[in-house]
Amino acid sequence: MTAPKRANRKEIKDKDFELIRAINAGQFDRFPDLVKRYEQKLYNFSLRMCRDAADAEDTVQETFINVFRYLKDFRFETKFKNWLYRVAASTCIKKRRRSKFAPQRELSLDEFYPQSYTEVPHQVPDWAQMPLDKLLSNELLDKINEAIFTLPEKYRLVIVLRDIEGFSTAETAQILNLSDANVKVRLHRARLFLRDRLKGYFENE
Amino acid sequence: MSKDEHDHRHCLELFEKLSEYLDNELDEVACKDIEKHIKECVPCFVCLQTLKRTVDLCKQAENRMVPEDFSKKLKEVLQNMPKTPPAG
Ligand SMILES: [Zn+2]
Repeated sequence: MTAPKRANRKEIKDKDFELIRAINAGQFDRFPDLVKRYEQKLYNFSLRMCRDAADAEDTVQETFINVFRYLKDFRFETKFKNWLYRVAASTCIKKRRRSKFAPQRELSLDEFYPQSYTEVPHQVPDWAQMPLDKLLSNELLDKINEAIFTLPEKYRLVIVLRDIEGFSTAETAQILNLSDANVKVRLHRARLFLRDRLKGYFENE
Repeated sequence: MSKDEHDHRHCLELFEKLSEYLDNELDEVACKDIEKHIKECVPCFVCLQTLKRTVDLCKQAENRMVPEDFSKKLKEVLQNMPKTPPAG
Protein backbone atom coordinates (compact mmCIF):
# COMPACT_ATOMS: atom_id res chain seq x y z
CA MET A 1 0.00 0.00 0.00
CA THR A 2 1.52 3.26 -1.06
CA ALA A 3 0.30 6.71 -0.26
CA PRO A 4 -0.78 8.55 -3.36
CA LYS A 5 1.97 10.83 -4.55
CA ARG A 6 0.94 14.41 -4.73
CA ALA A 7 4.01 16.32 -5.68
CA ASN A 8 4.07 19.73 -7.35
CA ARG A 9 0.62 20.55 -6.26
CA LYS A 10 -0.87 23.97 -6.50
CA GLU A 11 -1.00 25.84 -3.25
CA ILE A 12 -3.88 24.70 -1.10
CA LYS A 13 -6.37 27.13 0.30
CA ASP A 14 -7.54 26.30 3.77
CA LYS A 15 -9.33 28.46 6.31
CA ASP A 16 -7.27 26.84 9.10
CA PHE A 17 -3.80 27.71 7.79
CA GLU A 18 -3.72 31.19 9.24
CA LEU A 19 -4.60 29.93 12.70
CA ILE A 20 -2.05 27.13 12.51
CA ARG A 21 0.70 29.52 11.45
CA ALA A 22 -0.17 31.72 14.41
CA ILE A 23 -0.04 28.80 16.83
CA ASN A 24 3.23 27.58 15.35
CA ALA A 25 4.62 31.08 15.70
CA GLY A 26 4.09 30.81 19.44
CA GLN A 27 0.50 31.87 20.05
CA PHE A 28 -0.34 28.73 22.01
CA ASP A 29 -3.33 30.42 23.57
CA ARG A 30 -5.05 30.11 20.20
CA PHE A 31 -4.89 26.32 20.18
CA PRO A 32 -8.33 26.10 21.88
CA ASP A 33 -9.78 27.88 18.82
CA LEU A 34 -8.58 25.02 16.67
CA VAL A 35 -10.09 22.52 19.11
CA LYS A 36 -13.40 24.38 19.05
CA ARG A 37 -13.53 24.13 15.28
CA TYR A 38 -13.27 20.38 15.25
CA GLU A 39 -14.20 18.83 18.58
CA GLN A 40 -17.82 18.32 17.60
CA LYS A 41 -16.96 16.62 14.33
CA LEU A 42 -14.20 14.53 15.83
CA TYR A 43 -16.39 13.44 18.71
CA ASN A 44 -19.03 12.11 16.34
CA PHE A 45 -16.45 10.48 14.11
CA SER A 46 -14.93 8.78 17.15
CA LEU A 47 -18.33 7.69 18.45
CA ARG A 48 -19.03 6.03 15.14
CA MET A 49 -15.70 4.27 15.23
CA CYS A 50 -15.55 3.33 18.93
CA ARG A 51 -19.24 3.23 19.74
CA ASP A 52 -18.54 3.47 23.46
CA ALA A 53 -18.79 7.09 24.65
CA ALA A 54 -15.82 6.86 27.03
CA ASP A 55 -13.63 5.37 24.29
CA ALA A 56 -14.75 8.11 21.93
CA GLU A 57 -13.72 10.76 24.46
CA ASP A 58 -10.33 9.10 24.89
CA THR A 59 -9.87 9.04 21.14
CA VAL A 60 -10.72 12.72 20.76
CA GLN A 61 -8.37 13.62 23.59
CA GLU A 62 -5.50 11.53 22.23
CA THR A 63 -6.05 12.96 18.78
CA PHE A 64 -5.83 16.56 19.98
CA ILE A 65 -2.80 15.79 22.13
CA ASN A 66 -1.10 14.38 19.05
CA VAL A 67 -2.16 17.38 17.02
CA PHE A 68 -0.70 19.67 19.67
CA ARG A 69 2.57 17.74 19.67
CA TYR A 70 2.99 17.43 15.92
CA LEU A 71 1.41 20.59 14.61
CA LYS A 72 4.94 21.98 14.12
CA ASP A 73 5.50 19.27 11.53
CA PHE A 74 2.41 20.14 9.55
CA ARG A 75 3.59 20.94 6.02
CA PHE A 76 0.58 22.78 4.57
CA GLU A 77 0.54 20.23 1.74
CA THR A 78 -2.94 19.08 2.56
CA LYS A 79 -5.94 20.63 4.21
CA PHE A 80 -5.60 20.64 7.96
CA LYS A 81 -8.89 18.78 8.32
CA ASN A 82 -7.56 15.88 6.25
CA TRP A 83 -4.40 15.72 8.32
CA LEU A 84 -6.49 15.82 11.50
CA TYR A 85 -8.61 12.89 10.34
CA ARG A 86 -5.49 10.97 9.47
CA VAL A 87 -4.36 11.35 13.05
CA ALA A 88 -7.85 10.49 14.32
CA ALA A 89 -8.21 7.42 12.10
CA SER A 90 -4.88 5.99 13.22
CA THR A 91 -5.79 6.66 16.85
CA CYS A 92 -9.05 4.74 16.32
CA ILE A 93 -7.27 1.85 14.63
CA LYS A 94 -4.80 1.57 17.51
CA LYS A 95 -7.67 1.57 19.95
CA ARG A 96 -9.45 -1.19 18.11
CA ARG A 97 -7.50 -3.88 19.89
CA ARG A 98 -9.26 -2.93 23.08
CA SER A 99 -12.70 -2.61 21.55
CA LYS A 100 -15.29 -5.28 22.10
CA PHE A 101 -17.50 -4.10 19.30
CA ALA A 102 -15.71 -4.41 16.01
CA PRO A 103 -16.25 -7.70 14.25
CA GLN A 104 -13.31 -8.20 11.92
CA ARG A 105 -14.30 -9.83 8.72
CA GLU A 106 -14.16 -9.36 5.00
CA LEU A 107 -17.29 -8.50 3.11
CA SER A 108 -17.37 -10.10 -0.28
CA LEU A 109 -19.40 -8.85 -3.16
CA ASP A 110 -21.03 -12.26 -3.64
CA GLU A 111 -22.96 -12.01 -0.46
CA PHE A 112 -24.77 -9.00 -1.82
CA TYR A 113 -25.60 -10.27 -5.27
CA PRO A 114 -29.30 -10.74 -5.62
CA GLN A 115 -29.82 -14.49 -5.16
CA SER A 116 -31.40 -14.67 -8.51
CA TYR A 117 -32.42 -11.79 -10.64
CA THR A 118 -35.87 -13.25 -10.94
CA GLU A 119 -36.24 -12.89 -7.16
CA VAL A 120 -35.46 -9.21 -7.13
CA PRO A 121 -38.67 -7.24 -6.71
CA HIS A 122 -39.81 -5.89 -10.01
CA GLN A 123 -40.92 -2.67 -8.43
CA VAL A 124 -38.99 -0.07 -6.53
CA PRO A 125 -40.01 -0.53 -2.88
CA ASP A 126 -41.78 2.37 -1.17
CA TRP A 127 -38.87 3.18 1.10
CA ALA A 128 -36.65 3.84 -1.85
CA GLN A 129 -38.97 6.26 -3.57
CA MET A 130 -40.75 8.08 -0.78
CA PRO A 131 -39.52 11.65 -0.16
CA LEU A 132 -36.66 11.50 2.30
CA ASP A 133 -38.25 13.78 4.91
CA LYS A 134 -41.41 11.64 4.99
CA LEU A 135 -39.32 8.57 5.59
CA LEU A 136 -37.09 9.92 8.32
CA SER A 137 -38.05 9.17 11.87
CA ASN A 138 -36.08 8.85 15.08
CA GLU A 139 -36.53 5.13 14.90
CA LEU A 140 -35.09 4.99 11.41
CA LEU A 141 -32.15 7.21 12.38
CA ASP A 142 -31.43 4.88 15.29
CA LYS A 143 -31.63 1.97 12.91
CA ILE A 144 -29.10 3.56 10.58
CA ASN A 145 -26.70 4.35 13.40
CA GLU A 146 -27.09 0.80 14.65
CA ALA A 147 -26.46 -0.63 11.19
CA ILE A 148 -23.30 1.46 10.80
CA PHE A 149 -21.97 0.02 14.06
CA THR A 150 -22.36 -3.52 12.78
CA LEU A 151 -20.05 -2.89 9.82
CA PRO A 152 -16.55 -4.31 10.20
CA GLU A 153 -14.17 -1.48 11.01
CA LYS A 154 -12.29 -1.20 7.74
CA TYR A 155 -15.55 -0.74 5.85
CA ARG A 156 -17.01 1.52 8.50
CA LEU A 157 -14.02 3.84 8.35
CA VAL A 158 -14.48 4.29 4.61
CA ILE A 159 -18.24 4.84 4.59
CA VAL A 160 -18.07 7.23 7.55
CA LEU A 161 -15.38 9.32 5.85
CA ARG A 162 -17.07 9.27 2.44
CA ASP A 163 -20.79 9.42 3.09
CA ILE A 164 -21.03 11.00 6.53
CA GLU A 165 -17.98 13.27 6.73
CA GLY A 166 -18.12 14.06 3.04
CA PHE A 167 -14.50 13.46 2.05
CA SER A 168 -13.81 12.65 -1.61
CA THR A 169 -12.45 9.30 -2.74
CA ALA A 170 -8.96 10.78 -3.14
CA GLU A 171 -9.05 12.43 0.28
CA THR A 172 -10.27 9.25 1.95
CA ALA A 173 -7.50 7.31 0.24
CA GLN A 174 -4.97 9.78 1.57
CA ILE A 175 -6.37 9.74 5.10
CA LEU A 176 -6.38 5.94 5.28
CA ASN A 177 -3.28 5.30 3.20
CA LEU A 178 -5.20 3.24 0.68
CA SER A 179 -5.45 3.33 -3.09
CA ASP A 180 -8.45 5.05 -4.65
CA ALA A 181 -9.56 1.69 -6.05
CA ASN A 182 -9.48 0.15 -2.60
CA VAL A 183 -11.57 2.96 -1.16
CA LYS A 184 -14.17 2.46 -3.89
CA VAL A 185 -14.37 -1.29 -3.35
CA ARG A 186 -14.80 -0.92 0.40
CA LEU A 187 -17.34 1.85 0.04
CA HIS A 188 -19.48 -0.15 -2.35
CA ARG A 189 -19.49 -3.18 -0.05
CA ALA A 190 -20.27 -1.05 2.98
CA ARG A 191 -23.21 0.54 1.21
CA LEU A 192 -24.52 -2.83 0.06
CA PHE A 193 -24.25 -4.12 3.60
CA LEU A 194 -26.27 -1.19 4.94
CA ARG A 195 -28.77 -1.53 2.15
CA ASP A 196 -29.40 -5.11 3.22
CA ARG A 197 -29.89 -4.03 6.82
CA LEU A 198 -32.31 -1.30 5.83
CA LYS A 199 -34.18 -3.55 3.45
CA GLY A 200 -34.72 -5.96 6.33
CA TYR A 201 -35.98 -3.11 8.48
CA PHE A 202 -38.60 -2.10 5.95
CA GLU A 203 -39.67 -5.59 5.08
CA ASN A 204 -40.43 -6.39 8.70
CA GLU A 205 -42.82 -3.50 8.99
CA MET B 1 -29.33 -18.62 -13.95
CA SER B 2 -32.35 -18.35 -16.16
CA LYS B 3 -31.82 -17.18 -19.67
CA ASP B 4 -35.39 -16.48 -20.55
CA GLU B 5 -35.27 -12.72 -20.35
CA HIS B 6 -31.74 -11.60 -20.91
CA ASP B 7 -28.22 -12.51 -20.01
CA HIS B 8 -27.71 -11.50 -16.40
CA ARG B 9 -23.96 -11.61 -16.57
CA HIS B 10 -24.09 -8.01 -17.63
CA CYS B 11 -26.21 -7.24 -14.53
CA LEU B 12 -23.47 -8.60 -12.30
CA GLU B 13 -20.85 -6.56 -14.08
CA LEU B 14 -22.87 -3.42 -13.59
CA PHE B 15 -23.73 -4.32 -10.01
CA GLU B 16 -20.07 -3.77 -9.11
CA LYS B 17 -20.11 -0.26 -10.50
CA LEU B 18 -23.31 1.11 -9.03
CA SER B 19 -21.62 3.11 -6.27
CA GLU B 20 -19.18 4.68 -8.69
CA TYR B 21 -22.13 5.53 -10.86
CA LEU B 22 -23.92 7.25 -7.98
CA ASP B 23 -20.73 9.14 -7.12
CA ASN B 24 -20.19 10.34 -10.69
CA GLU B 25 -16.89 8.53 -10.87
CA LEU B 26 -17.46 6.62 -14.08
CA ASP B 27 -16.50 7.78 -17.54
CA GLU B 28 -19.17 8.69 -20.02
CA VAL B 29 -19.21 5.35 -21.80
CA ALA B 30 -19.72 3.41 -18.58
CA CYS B 31 -22.44 5.81 -17.44
CA LYS B 32 -24.32 5.49 -20.71
CA ASP B 33 -24.01 1.74 -20.47
CA ILE B 34 -25.66 1.71 -17.04
CA GLU B 35 -28.33 4.18 -18.01
CA LYS B 36 -29.25 2.14 -21.04
CA HIS B 37 -29.28 -1.09 -19.07
CA ILE B 38 -31.51 0.11 -16.22
CA LYS B 39 -34.10 1.28 -18.69
CA GLU B 40 -34.45 -2.28 -19.83
CA CYS B 41 -33.72 -4.20 -16.65
CA VAL B 42 -36.05 -3.66 -13.72
CA PRO B 43 -34.00 -5.64 -11.14
CA CYS B 44 -30.95 -3.48 -11.82
CA PHE B 45 -33.08 -0.36 -11.66
CA VAL B 46 -34.38 -1.49 -8.26
CA CYS B 47 -30.84 -2.24 -7.05
CA LEU B 48 -29.69 1.21 -8.06
CA GLN B 49 -32.64 3.00 -6.44
CA THR B 50 -32.36 1.15 -3.16
CA LEU B 51 -28.62 1.76 -3.07
CA LYS B 52 -29.12 5.44 -3.77
CA ARG B 53 -31.66 5.71 -0.98
CA THR B 54 -29.30 3.93 1.40
CA VAL B 55 -26.64 6.55 0.70
CA ASP B 56 -29.19 9.36 1.22
CA LEU B 57 -30.19 7.87 4.56
CA CYS B 58 -26.61 7.40 5.64
CA LYS B 59 -25.98 11.08 5.02
CA GLN B 60 -28.75 11.86 7.51
CA ALA B 61 -27.11 9.95 10.35
CA GLU B 62 -27.48 12.10 13.43
CA ASN B 63 -24.76 13.85 15.34
CA ARG B 64 -24.57 14.15 19.08
CA MET B 65 -23.40 17.14 21.04
CA VAL B 66 -20.05 16.93 22.77
CA PRO B 67 -20.74 16.47 26.51
CA GLU B 68 -19.91 19.74 28.27
CA ASP B 69 -17.92 18.04 31.00
CA PHE B 70 -15.72 16.41 28.45
CA SER B 71 -15.22 19.63 26.53
CA LYS B 72 -14.05 21.31 29.73
CA LYS B 73 -11.76 18.46 30.67
CA LEU B 74 -10.24 18.44 27.18
CA LYS B 75 -9.51 22.14 27.41
CA GLU B 76 -7.73 21.66 30.72
CA VAL B 77 -5.67 18.73 29.51
CA LEU B 78 -4.51 20.68 26.49
CA GLN B 79 -3.79 23.80 28.50
CA ASN B 80 -1.45 21.78 30.70
CA MET B 81 0.55 20.47 27.78
CA PRO B 82 4.15 21.71 27.71
CA LYS B 83 4.17 24.95 25.73
CA THR B 84 7.21 24.15 23.66
CA PRO B 85 6.19 20.92 22.02
CA PRO B 86 9.11 18.63 21.23
CA ALA B 87 9.83 18.61 17.50
CA GLY B 88 9.10 15.39 15.65
ZN1 LIG C 1 -29.72 -5.96 -15.11
